[in-house]
Formats: sequence, C-alpha cells, structure tokens
Amino acid sequence: MAFKTLIIDAEKCSGCRACETYCSLKHEQVCNPAKGRVHVVKWEQEGIFVPINCMRCDAPACELTCPKQATFRNYATGAMEVDPYRCIGCLSCVFACPFGATFVDPKNGRVLKCDLCDGDPTCVKVCPTGAITCEEVSRDTYLKLIEKAERIPQLVKQALGGRVKK
Amino acid sequence: MNGWVGSILKIDLTAGKITTEPTEPYVEDYIGGRGLGVRLIYDHYVPGTNAFDPSNPLIFNTGPLTGSAVPGSGRVDVTALSPMSNLRAKSNFGGYWGPELKYAGYDHIVIQGKSEKPCYLWIKDGQVEIRDAEKLWGMDTFETQKAIQNELGDPEIKVVCIGPAGERLVQFACLITETGDAAGRTGMGAVMGGKNLKAIAVRGSGGVNVARPEELLEVSIKVNREIRENPAYLELANWGVSRSIPMMYEHSFFPVGYFEDVCWEDIIKNYQGIEFMEKYQLKSLGCFNCPGRCMSFFSHADIGKGVTSCEPFSGFTGAVWNLDMDVFWEATLLCNRMGIDGTETSACIGLLMELYHDNIITPGDTDDIIMDRGSKEAILTTIRKIAGREGYGDLLARGQMAAAEKFGPEAVEKVDQIKGLAPHAYEYRAYKGTGLIAAVGHRGDPLPLRSSLLEFDWNMSAEWFQQVAREKYGSEDAAIPTSYKGKALPAFISEHMERVADNLGICKWIYTLFVYEDAEMPTRLFNLVTGKDWEIDKLLKVSERVRNLERMFDVRQGLRRADDTLPKKFFEQALSKGKFKGEVMDKEKFEQMKDEYYDLRGWDKVSGIPTREKLEELGLGDVADEVLGL
Repeated sequence: MAFKTLIIDAEKCSGCRACETYCSLKHEQVCNPAKGRVHVVKWEQEGIFVPINCMRCDAPACELTCPKQATFRNYATGAMEVDPYRCIGCLSCVFACPFGATFVDPKNGRVLKCDLCDGDPTCVKVCPTGAITCEEVSRDTYLKLIEKAERIPQLVKQALGGRVKK
Repeated sequence: MNGWVGSILKIDLTAGKITTEPTEPYVEDYIGGRGLGVRLIYDHYVPGTNAFDPSNPLIFNTGPLTGSAVPGSGRVDVTALSPMSNLRAKSNFGGYWGPELKYAGYDHIVIQGKSEKPCYLWIKDGQVEIRDAEKLWGMDTFETQKAIQNELGDPEIKVVCIGPAGERLVQFACLITETGDAAGRTGMGAVMGGKNLKAIAVRGSGGVNVARPEELLEVSIKVNREIRENPAYLELANWGVSRSIPMMYEHSFFPVGYFEDVCWEDIIKNYQGIEFMEKYQLKSLGCFNCPGRCMSFFSHADIGKGVTSCEPFSGFTGAVWNLDMDVFWEATLLCNRMGIDGTETSACIGLLMELYHDNIITPGDTDDIIMDRGSKEAILTTIRKIAGREGYGDLLARGQMAAAEKFGPEAVEKVDQIKGLAPHAYEYRAYKGTGLIAAVGHRGDPLPLRSSLLEFDWNMSAEWFQQVAREKYGSEDAAIPTSYKGKALPAFISEHMERVADNLGICKWIYTLFVYEDAEMPTRLFNLVTGKDWEIDKLLKVSERVRNLERMFDVRQGLRRADDTLPKKFFEQALSKGKFKGEVMDKEKFEQMKDEYYDLRGWDKVSGIPTREKLEELGLGDVADEVLGL
C-alpha cells in the first residue's frame, strides 16, 4: 500500500471539532475531543481555525528523541505510531514535535498519535468543509501540503493582528 | 452513565454554597435538556415570587446527546421565570459551551440566590469556583469572553455571558457565547444580571460515554454525510438565509414593519442580502460537531466581525423598513455585543416607527430622534439607548407595553405581543396553522415547527405538500395555509417532535425540521449513545409529559385559555396586497382550531387547563394535586 498523508487546509476549517470528537470515538470509544489525535486551535472572534495533526516528517523529531524507540513508522501507512508497551510516558516526543501535533491523554498521560486509521481516516470522512483531506504521497501531494501549511503562519498572524477580509 | 454525565450542579449565590444531585432519577420521565429543566424549574421556583427575586432559579440544561459524536449536538436549553411574561422562560443556544459543560462533569446547572458583588462562575473538571467579576462589569460580551480566557490563562475556555444590557436588567437582555450564539428570547440576560452573575466559564477534559461506540460511529458518519448532502443545508452553508429572504416576503410569510402589512415591493426587488453575503462572508460556521453550517461569519472592516443567522436578516431589514445591509449588520452586531435580544429589539424599533408614522408620538418623545421608517439613526440610536437605559431607551428597556403606556392609550392599542413577547418574525394572517401554534405555544413564538414550515412549503408545490400532509397528518388541509381545517393535529405532533430534539440536546433544525423530518433518527441515536432500547413512542410520550408540565407551570402562574391568542391586528386588519390579499384571521374559526387542539391535548376547553385525568395518565398526579387542588 502506498503511503498516505493528511493535508490540512486551515482556511476552510469551520472549527466544528467534528474531527476531534469522531477521532476519540473511533480510537477511545468515548466522545471526548481532549482525547483526539487531531486538535483545532480556534480564534472564534476572528473566524480563524487551525486543525493540528501529525505531519509524518521525513526525519521525525518524535522518533529521534524517544529514549525507548517507542515511536516508530508504520510502513504500511506511513503513519508515526507509538508502541504503548515501550513508551515510558516521558513526553519527550510531545515537547520535541515542532508542530505541537503529538497529544497526551489528560486523564492518564498516554501519548496519542494519529495512526491515519490504517489508511482510511475518520476525520476526513466527517470534515464538512474539506479542510482535512487524505491523499497518497507524491511530489504533487507534498507541494500541496507545503502550500497549505505555509498559509498557517499567515492565518495565525492575522488572528493575532485582527485584520479583516478585503 | 452513558450519554448523561450524571450530575446536576446547584449553586446558591447568596450563601456561596455549591452542591450536586444525581441526574439519573429524572431521566426515565424527562430524559434531559429542556424536559428535565422543566421539572427542575417546576420544583425550584417559589410561586408568587417575581423574576428578579433572588430565588428565581436560572437553569441550564444539556441533554444526553449534547457533546457526543452526533451531528448538531451543541445545544443547551435555558429556563427561569421570565421577566417579560411572568411565565416560564425558555431559550436555547448553540455553540461550544454545552459540550464543554458536560466534559467538565455536569448535565444541568441550577443557579439561585444573588451575589452581593458582581461575580462569575468558573467550572473546571468537577471544581466550581465563584470568582470576582468587578473588572468585567461593563464589558461587552466579546470583551468578557476574552478577558476571562486571559484571566484564567486558557484560550479554550468556553464562556456564556451577559453584556451591559443584562447588567442593567433590560427586560429582554440575552445570553451570548462565541460571537453570536444567543439564548435570545425571554430575558435570560436580565435574570442573570439580577443575580450579579456576569458569566459562566467552563472547561473539561472528561467525555461523554457511549454504550455502542462502533455502531454509533457508523451511523453517525452516515448522518454527517446526509446532512452535508441535504439541499437545504447546502443552501445554508453557501448562502446562509440570504437567498430565501425575498421569497419569504413574496409569500407573505414575513411581516413588513410592525406587522403593518406584507409584500413590500422594495424588499422583494431590492434586497441586498446576497450582495452583502458575497462581499463580507468570510465563511459559514456551525455549532459543535455540526456539518450544517447555518451561520454566516461576516468580516466587515468598518463594522466588525461575528456570526449571525436567521432572525436578524428580517428583524433588521423588513421589520424596520431597512434595505441598507450595513445597517442590518451594525444593528445585529451591536445587539450581540450589548447582549440584547435582536428580535424584541427590532420589534421595539418597529413599534416606535409605527407610532411616529401614525402621529401618536413626536420626536419629543424619543429624545429628538426622528423615528422615520427605515432611518439608520433611529435604528442604531435606539439600540444604544436601550442597552444603556438612556432616555426613551430606558422606557423600552422595561418592555414594549411599559413604554406604550407612557406614550398613552393609542400607543397601547398598537402593541403586538403574545404572552409578553414580540411575536416571532412571522406573519399569521394567511398562515392559520402557524397562527394556532403561536397562540397556544408556550412562549408566544415557538416557531419554527414542522407543520408551520409545511404551510410555507405549500407555496412551492401545492399538490405535493398536500399529499405529504395527507400522509403525515391525515388531511390535505394541514398544508394549505389559508385553511382552518386539520390544523390541530399537526400542531400537536410538531410540538412533541420539537421536544424530542430539545430533550436530547440536539439541533431541532436538523432533527425534526429540515433534514430528518420526524423523531426516528433522534430516537436511534439516543439508543446508541445511552444504551437504552426505547421505542419512538416512549420519547414522544416524554414530550407530551413535558408539554403538559410546561403548561401547568404557566397555569400555576395564572395562564388561561384567553391568553392563547394573537394580537388584535391579525383579526382586524386584512392583508392589503400580495398573493394572500384580503386574508385575516377569523376569530371564530381561530377559536374552533383552539377547541380542536385542547381536545387532542386532553385539556379543558373552557379554561385551557390540562385535566386531572390527563395529568395522572402522564404521571403528573403530584402536579395536579398542587395546582388543581386535592
């Protein structure tokens, strides 16, 4: 199977938190956005919302920093996953992630990482605006991913500066 | 528990006392949300006290599906004694606050007493704190939310709050969360302000447990897709309600001015909503976990940003003779920031415009503001003055009737209200069933209900919807707006369906109105989340119990059959133009519709009071004993 990745187009996000909620239902059998493996950062007074998810880096900081080699790439999907039996809960991966896309279960400190739902992501199915899509990895996919990702700092700047749509 | 998080939070602001009570004993009879809230207010309100008495319970109600992975599960019901009607208040808001309250551990909050100083509540994962709000007092609703998030150091905290209008006890002050999600009607902001309570901030890391997670995931993904593909929601997500507004006027479903007439040609031809949408809509937004984004987020450089939907689109256009969409947006945003109900506010302005037009008031009565129909200055200044309780705004802040009484008997004659509230922005002269629903309804404006929309839909394809009416309500007449026949049963059924959605804490636009037109899907989702195995009839029976208990609360307040009526104008002044020219509500036939309705309900026709027999059948014997006597 070819590797897949999620592409996040934050400009489209309506901030509904469906991705977080369905993610927790799928992986944790509970409806709790705090246990999602995707998270939406919201500036509701600006209408700006940014979903954060694992970027499946080439040289992932989470993998490099893990003292127990608990973080590994699943070569069936391309997703970075955590082996719960090896993980000692030091949270090094959480702090090392440059995107803040490695999450922690607030109740028990367990590391939560997007596993791409084995190649068929639930968040993509329920995202109403197409802000999260899933595509097979290719040169074009990466170019698109980079293009969309580059918009995020601008959006954040806009959210903090409070500019309006022209 | 699955669905419910299991706990009712009770706060006494006078004593600073915080207690809890389990939710479970109530759920079999009342489910949750609105229904359980009705039982709570029936039990907690002290008969004989007024809305500003510290004992008036202000109650927030989420349902078993609120905050779950079910589309449209962001709803919260609010109740108290209303300062506008002295009857049970009811308002409902969306956004993200309700789910967060459940994640923090509570299904309901009952707030009684009055804080000595301005305060706000901070609820986090089962911990509750009453905090000082001295610094927040005077801030608008947008500023308040930001200030609390900053003070507590967490931008993900969800806040529902009042604005300056609520602090000043403007009778129709509302609650606001996010940039425009409002518990708009019945004056909940005034009740909260009366308790010196500025805001309720919530944050939780808990979740909603689900009985059948795999099955729910599968069904819920399907529901998500069906909503997204539904034509009504595609329209709303792209255009909000802007494209349907001229159509509403064309079919005489929206009033022009202060229910003066219908079919204002200018608005049908020159409504600028679509252009405004194209120019200023940044995106369309929904509530928690909702794919059907029915709200428009506007970003206007000179006026400001925020969301709106639905009523302001007609309230601040046709109802005040205004075609300038910038004025519409400025008025809407101002109401939301100040925390006043846009519907009642636009009605207040409409009233003044009519009084001025008919030479009943002069500019001297309105601080030299000329209340010309459609005047920008009149619209915006009146809102500011109501929120600030300045000059004539202070009169209006006490309610339309109080202001009219000050202007004299001719002005009093002009006031159009049902049970102390401005009738929801629909026209009733041509739409008889809709008029019936408004008259018998619990607060004078329980619209939209399914059978009311059926009357409107009839305009699009008469034959088709008459057939729908025959299948669903046993009579083709149910769909024909101008017919008085067969209107009681659809009203009865629609009222029960509406309460299913409200009791579960989900959006009634999606469930029972636009996408799923009956209670079947809500029932299925309810069973998957809670693990119960209820038939649809059992949920509808709860709705009937809730409807009757709501009625008995109001009967205890003195409500009788005569209060189930419409403003005089609808009986006396026929529509002068449009496709329903000449239509007026026939008083006798109107009363006949009511007779049929009371019969179906098992209520006494003379008094409009539920019979002991009906109440006992519904397990409300204790209520019968108290209100009807032993």
